[in-house]
Amino acid sequence: MRITSRLVVPFIQIYGIYVVLHGHLSPGGSFSGGAIFGASLVLVALSFNLETGAKQISHQTASLLESGGVLGFVITGLVAIALGGNYLSNRAAGFPAGQAGELFSAGAILIITVFVGIKVASTIVTLFYNIIEGEK
Amino acid sequence: MIYFLFAIIFVILTLFLRFFIGVEPRIILTFYLLGLIIFLFSFTVAEMPTFGSPVNPAFNEVPQRYLESGVAETGAINIVSSIIIDYRAFDTLGEATVLFVAIAAVIATIKAH
Repeated sequence: MRITSRLVVPFIQIYGIYVVLHGHLSPGGSFSGGAIFGASLVLVALSFNLETGAKQISHQTASLLESGGVLGFVITGLVAIALGGNYLSNRAAGFPAGQAGELFSAGAILIITVFVGIKVASTIVTLFYNIIEGEK
Repeated sequence: MIYFLFAIIFVILTLFLRFFIGVEPRIILTFYLLGLIIFLFSFTVAEMPTFGSPVNPAFNEVPQRYLESGVAETGAINIVSSIIIDYRAFDTLGEATVLFVAIAAVIATIKAH
């Protein structure tokens, strides 16, 4: 179990990052990619022990990332207002859209996808640790 | 006439279950309520428009606009992504907030004791 997860976890994490970053190009997106990434961190804690899992991502970092994900989403919406568009608008506010089909395209969609992916991954990790550790 | 017959069978069945078999009234009521819910839900499903039919109310100008000019307006070739994060971004913001509130509630419930 430990050897298998040590082999598999990096690939799962790379796949999760791929799904998040290619959310505007291929099926998938922020929620599914973040869930894959969070599941890899949970797999570490399940196959080793809770302390080793907590070394990968500490509780404080997880809750910071979690609040930061929503905050980044909101701030991206506010940046659109500052650029002169409506709240959460993309092309109309002047985010660089790039060539359709390339990795760095679609302006605010990529930024928001990354933020929501971070948020979903840290939500899964925080939920897991809080429920496993229980009352302390 | 047939409804009248059904009502009589219904009442007889209830009385039979209650007084000859001895089922508690609470359990009988529970099963009747479940039956009513199943009836209403299957009635709703039967009334739904056919999947993929061209006269569905969902086939209006809105998805046509998304399919025709979604790539030009958002720059994303994944149409689902362009809808959930560009056209319906406010809804996704609410979704992220729901996740946040859920985890805050879990932490408050577990750590409060």
